[in-house]
Amino acid sequence: MITTPRPSRRRFLQGAGMTAAGLFAPGLLSACGSGNGSTGGDSGTGTVELWIDIQGEPNQTYFSDKVIGAFEQYQSDIDVKVTYYTGADLRKLIQTALQAKSGPDLVRGPSATQTLAWSKADVLADLSSYADEWAWADTLVSWAMEAFTTDGKLFALPMRVDTLLMYTNQTLFAEKGWGAPTTLAELEGLAEEAHGQGITPFGASNTDWKAASEWHMSAMWNHYSGPEAVYQALTGEITWTEPVFVEAVELLRSWFDKGWFGGGAETYFSVPAQEVGANFGNGTVAMVPQGVWWMSSVGNFFGTAANNENEWDWSPWPALRDEVAYPLFDLGIGGSLGINAHSDSQDAAAEYLNWYYGDREAALQRMADVPATYNIPIQFDAAEVPAGIDERSRRVLDGLNTAVDAGNYGYVTWTWWPPKANAFVYEGFEKVLTGDLSPADYCEQMDQLFQEERTAGDVPQIISRA
Amino acid sequence: MALHAQAPPSTGRPLRAEQQRANRRAARRRKARALLFLAPLLGLNLLVVVGPSVATVWYSFTDWSGLGPATFVGLDNYTRAFGDPLVRAALMHNLIWFVLFLSVPMGLGLLGAFLLSQITRFQMLFRALFFIPYVVASVVNASVWKSLLSPTNGIGHALGELGVPWIGDVAFLGDTSTSLISVNFVVDWHFWGFVAVIFLAAMQGVDPELYDAAKVDGANRWQQFTAVTLPGIRPTVVFLVLMTVIWSLKAFDYIYVMTQGGPAGSSEVVSTYMYKVAFSQYEAGYAASLGLSMAFVTALVLAVYQLVRKRGWEA
Repeated sequence: MITTPRPSRRRFLQGAGMTAAGLFAPGLLSACGSGNGSTGGDSGTGTVELWIDIQGEPNQTYFSDKVIGAFEQYQSDIDVKVTYYTGADLRKLIQTALQAKSGPDLVRGPSATQTLAWSKADVLADLSSYADEWAWADTLVSWAMEAFTTDGKLFALPMRVDTLLMYTNQTLFAEKGWGAPTTLAELEGLAEEAHGQGITPFGASNTDWKAASEWHMSAMWNHYSGPEAVYQALTGEITWTEPVFVEAVELLRSWFDKGWFGGGAETYFSVPAQEVGANFGNGTVAMVPQGVWWMSSVGNFFGTAANNENEWDWSPWPALRDEVAYPLFDLGIGGSLGINAHSDSQDAAAEYLNWYYGDREAALQRMADVPATYNIPIQFDAAEVPAGIDERSRRVLDGLNTAVDAGNYGYVTWTWWPPKANAFVYEGFEKVLTGDLSPADYCEQMDQLFQEERTAGDVPQIISRA
Repeated sequence: MALHAQAPPSTGRPLRAEQQRANRRAARRRKARALLFLAPLLGLNLLVVVGPSVATVWYSFTDWSGLGPATFVGLDNYTRAFGDPLVRAALMHNLIWFVLFLSVPMGLGLLGAFLLSQITRFQMLFRALFFIPYVVASVVNASVWKSLLSPTNGIGHALGELGVPWIGDVAFLGDTSTSLISVNFVVDWHFWGFVAVIFLAAMQGVDPELYDAAKVDGANRWQQFTAVTLPGIRPTVVFLVLMTVIWSLKAFDYIYVMTQGGPAGSSEVVSTYMYKVAFSQYEAGYAASLGLSMAFVTALVLAVYQLVRKRGWEA
């Protein structure tokens, strides 16, 4: 069953009735919005409510048909009621609802560290028994499961594997005879040449998504400082004030100062992302450092839809120091799926999770159908991915699998950094760009927040070095 | 007198007393009936306004993360707020915002209303045109203006292409010295028409004979405006000033959509900072203390307004 947040007259009247009744009944806030279908009890049947932030009608239709529809066909005793949120900040809505012991049965949560904060507040159900019952450890990759496990409690499942890519305008690269840069020298050489020709080397903007700066800092710390150093800092062996971290910030700032990155700090702060995409499509931007998730929408800026004949591709981030491996993929988790601790339909919700992660054939088909959106962290071989997948998407899956096997992986801030330090990564970086904060002070202030939160146990289990 | 003389004095008092008791009973019934009608609204108010307000007071004295239990920390949040440089910077931005928000839309509104009051043809059309930006959702206005202010594809860029100097490459929202003023410009743009329409309505209530008398005394347009119009709409001016102060302290939506307080906190106001503290840093207790502090400032403003009213300045 699919709904949008627009209430029907009947639902409005139900709500009004509940409100009136609530004037004389304690616990109204707990009851508000708990959904009227959570009737499954512990039978693993009934209605399961899910709020999710899937944008665009085609994507919603795909989710309704290929995910929810397929599940309801598989498990006809369970009705999944989906509410799509577009434009709203779903995390805050769900957080508020959970605090009121309300909200959806299936919880679409944020990153590992923020979901950890929810788990600490006991608003998420312990999934350990379900994991044991259905042997989820055999299905999902261990590092992603461990990121959502604390004190032996599995509090959510990883929703999507994230990594950072360097998107390229392939047509422009072919015209100019450029190849994908693999070292700092090659990258800076290319950037200088492009800039000299009036082409912005790196298209970037944080106008629509303030936290975009953390993608770039994640890349710099992993590909300049190196994943070993990042791992040591995340586990408390060294601090973020080490020169190798400060130098990474200085290097990125120098690219902004030269006008290479986003055209400079002021345009980075003020040009809408849509405009950056359009410039990337028409060849006035050469590369866009972005997350793997952008793969599902970057095509909008290329081809007939965008009135050009250009083509895009991607390459891994170059190694920015000789000591850093290439290719290296930064690992992260884009959100989580958990179960509301106050849901009446926990078993039914768990049935859905078990199907979503357990039906390998359906999961791999989703990965093939929609680029990067449904890349759940399950174990599979590259050969198992269905034919018909976009070659660029297949290369991401292959690259990630190979990187994990070979130990060539890094750590993104939105998964492995605790909340306050994570927010400071992008808030503080703006001050670095405006000259209000030196790179050394930026790293020091981030380190202070990180150490406080690390002491408080707010850092998730870090995937160890292979 | 004859009637009084005829009425037996012994029965007059009980009758009057009984009448008074009946009147009091009727008055009590009327009050009870009124309270009965008010009760649902009062109950709802207690539930959705007073309840959360009391909870906010409590949470402001705790280390609540926004989820789960909270621990009492006394005045820690308030002492922290006093020493927090980000709060001070945000308050300063609120002050700048208030000065701009008070002066620009009020000035333009008064001017627009006065000019509109001088015409009869197309007055409704202009009133509607002035009012339209106010009724468009703030998110829509803010998103459109964010694109219009883009340094590479916006109005400034277009003007620069046409040869207008200076403006071509200005990143209005990306420069720390212009970001707050730019957002405020958009807010003023959407708000001044509303102010103009309100002032116009007030101006239409001013007695026309006062203008005639002023003309007879030889007053020009400006003198009529200062000596007749302004005193005539003083209650409306005072009310709008009060509301402007309150709205300035609550400024959030346009800033959040257009700059999210950036770049580098240059357009951060207390409400956007509070939002980040509560939801990004999981410090809802601290955010509650900031919110209460702002509520205190608002209460002070209201108290001053009441004082002004009592002294009869508004009338």
